[in-house]
Amino acid sequence: MKLLSFLISFAKYSLSFIFVLGLWEVYARYGGLNELFLPRPSKIGDKLYNLFFKFQIIEQGTIYWHFFATLAQMSIGFCYGIVIGNSLAVLAAFNETFRRYIAPYAVVFNVTPGIAVLPLIIAWFGFGWESKIALATLVCFFPPFINTLTGLLKKNDEAIELFQTIGATQSQYFWKQQLPNALPEIFAGLKLAITTALLGTIVAQFGSATEGVGILMQRFAFRLDMAGSFASLVTMAIMGLLVFTIAELLDRRIVFWRDTKGLERVSKKKQRKLSTDG
Amino acid sequence: MAATAKKKPKQSPSGQTVIEGNSVTKVFGETVTALEGADFNIRSGEFISLVGPSGCGKSTLLRLVAGLIEKTSGDLTVNDEEVTKPRTDIGMMFQKAVLLDWRTAIENVLLPSEIQHRITQDDKQKAMASLDLVGLKGFEFHFPKQLSGGMQQRVALARLIQTGANIMLMDEPFGALDEFTRERLNVELMRIVGELKATTLFVTHNIQEAIYLADRVLVMTPRPGRIAKIIDVNFERPRDISIQTSREFNIIVEEVRDTLGSH
Ligand SMILES: Nc1ncnc2c1ncn2[C@@H]1O[C@H](COP(=O)(O)OP(=O)(O)O)[C@@H](O)[C@H]1O
Ligand SMILES: [Mg+2]
Repeated sequence: MKLLSFLISFAKYSLSFIFVLGLWEVYARYGGLNELFLPRPSKIGDKLYNLFFKFQIIEQGTIYWHFFATLAQMSIGFCYGIVIGNSLAVLAAFNETFRRYIAPYAVVFNVTPGIAVLPLIIAWFGFGWESKIALATLVCFFPPFINTLTGLLKKNDEAIELFQTIGATQSQYFWKQQLPNALPEIFAGLKLAITTALLGTIVAQFGSATEGVGILMQRFAFRLDMAGSFASLVTMAIMGLLVFTIAELLDRRIVFWRDTKGLERVSKKKQRKLSTDG
Repeated sequence: MAATAKKKPKQSPSGQTVIEGNSVTKVFGETVTALEGADFNIRSGEFISLVGPSGCGKSTLLRLVAGLIEKTSGDLTVNDEEVTKPRTDIGMMFQKAVLLDWRTAIENVLLPSEIQHRITQDDKQKAMASLDLVGLKGFEFHFPKQLSGGMQQRVALARLIQTGANIMLMDEPFGALDEFTRERLNVELMRIVGELKATTLFVTHNIQEAIYLADRVLVMTPRPGRIAKIIDVNFERPRDISIQTSREFNIIVEEVRDTLGSH
């Protein structure tokens, strides 16, 4: 039943998608669209086919190399970002003085467009991977910082009293209540960070790079190869979707108690585990 | 421990003193006198109800005994020791169940054991038994959000039992539940604390409930919070819910009402 309804809705979405593409294709073929402005879907498809299956080389690498380079730069920047963001959040959550002093910087930082410091970043870190990683880190650490801080500061007087009456230490309270209780916010921060890290990486590649999907897009556009530019755009979308899906899956798995489905799944699993343990 | 509570004679119980307060006063800030000059003496195995309008210092009294807050003046001892901080022979239950959403019922019940030491097979067996005792057999692996409000409070009660504390402090534990659920839980609570022979301090603002459960009722009045009267309730245990319509019962109800009204 579930599979059937899934297949039906999948078919519906696919059909409407194909319909829009078809309309676009036909309209463009009969001269309704300037090809230098918006290429036909078939040309974009053709380009994607060449890039992905004929291993066309652009800027000394296949699309896979550019894809991998971007993913790697983004991942490293993302890791730095979440480590910095979460560490600052933990410090701020436990130290009120620190929290008070950091607050104005946080506000100013939040309203400054991080992307705009790219020239500075390049001046500091050069044209290699470092500048991409640095910009990704810079633009992505803020969401984890603010979300984790919010999660850790969630007011929970009853839980504090409960833990006191059962003789818990501060650290037991942190690990068993405060941290798990903040996980929904922490994951919200991570999901935001992963998309902003991708944005930072690609924008840094625009500045200067020898590899990455950002540089692909730029080279194609400068050559007025519109099909190539759009193929790069599709590639970026695929990458964004990929990393976001991973984050989403992790979120559902770890913060399972947010929805009834997750609760039922884990509840059944634990029950089964007990019966097999004997 | 003296087991006088279960079927005690009509006269006052003779168990040894467990909780003793002499002129216990708590002032919040400079001006809010939440509790003034409270004298009380609670004996082993007794079930004490604290009744009074909201704001009269019931929770304050309980939290003082629990060692969660410090008294401003007076003497307060538990088992002849001055109360200075929370102690593991005192367990507490709140109006909210305060369960950890990411833990199953049994994992929530195991929390107090886990805080004290590594979980053993014994602890697990005990937790199963605690859940059974509160009528939650078969719900061990449900998460709090999969349980009704009444069942969540049952888990909280099982967790309290798991602590092994023989002094139980309950701050309107069933106050947020509907009347039917509350009545059922009251009956079961009475059975359970009777079985455990625990000394219980039970806060409520429901007069019937207070009398039905208690060996003695502390009637409290507000502004400033005071213990206005201590009333003995000498019905035989186990008590049937129907005693609530009896004449003797309603005489006590009137006495509580008068005390509350005259202040
Ligand atoms: N932490 C606190 N700080 C200041 N005032 C408090 C605090 N806790 C309780 N009070 C005050 O003390 C009085 C008694 O409160 P409480 O013991 O909670 O009453 P009850 O439980 O009987 O409703 C109230 O006036 C309340 O506002
Ligand atoms: Mg209260």
